Amino acid sequence: MDAVVFWGSGLLSIAASLLVVTRRNPVYGAIFLVLFFTTISLDFLILRASFLAVIQVLVYAGAIMVLYLFVIMLLSLQPEEIKEEVKPARKVSAAVFAAGLFFLLVFAIRHSPRVRQAPDLAGDLAAGAAPIGTTEAIGIELFKSQLLPFEVTSILILVAILGTVYLTRKRAPNPAGGGR
Amino acid sequence: MMPLAMVLGGPLTLEHALFLASAIFCIGVYGVLSRQNVLVILMCIELMLNAANLAIVALGRSMAAATPSGPVIANQSQAFVVVVLAVAAAEAGVGLAILLAAYRRWRTVKAGEINLLKG
Repeated sequence: MDAVVFWGSGLLSIAASLLVVTRRNPVYGAIFLVLFFTTISLDFLILRASFLAVIQVLVYAGAIMVLYLFVIMLLSLQPEEIKEEVKPARKVSAAVFAAGLFFLLVFAIRHSPRVRQAPDLAGDLAAGAAPIGTTEAIGIELFKSQLLPFEVTSILILVAILGTVYLTRKRAPNPAGGGR
Repeated sequence: MMPLAMVLGGPLTLEHALFLASAIFCIGVYGVLSRQNVLVILMCIELMLNAANLAIVALGRSMAAATPSGPVIANQSQAFVVVVLAVAAAEAGVGLAILLAAYRRWRTVKAGEINLLKG
């Protein structure tokens, strides 16, 4: 049953990510990205990461995608502004590079003895083992073993806030005119 | 190609989860390389970050059943994913701010047309 749900959501997430990449209008891309985040959240549930599954929907599908959609609506791009003229040669070489990377990764995964010996992901944990993926367990790890990354992340977010405010502030009009 | 029923009825192995993660990552790489719209490129970066998160969680889950200290390792990997999520949020904020500032100045969202630093 776990495998069925995992493959169903996995195929759905691959389809959604392909649609994100190929849609010309970024609004459709953003909507399919929401679907993608939801399917990844299903995968997290199967992998016993219940807290992450909730956070995935709340932060990614909720907050980050609203930010993207807000910027898309703010720009209100005209159809000729979102039209892309990508040379077919560039598309083909990008596809060849991505496919090559995929087969390299598949080759590495298939030939890794540790991956092959890894236990079934849907199997039960040992009796009496500590719970995994709960809010409490992740919080304890975040404040014990991952304290330094946690604090560095807080500095990163502070810098990101300052940078965002600095970049989007109103400037005096450029006397020399725009760059183009 | 394995029969579909065998794949669906069989166990869910770490290999399968890593295949899925690498497929999503490579789709994101293709998008970054082949698209011109900066908004779509930023969305493709989100795809790649999510693929990495999926791989981290799957690896942690496989460790959970393998060793006595496994549950702790699984929880540590999930705490690391929370950090990645914060980095993704910061990246989206700064990336979209740069996009807005560039659009105000050059009236374009195409990566190839913002070429002030091109030699």
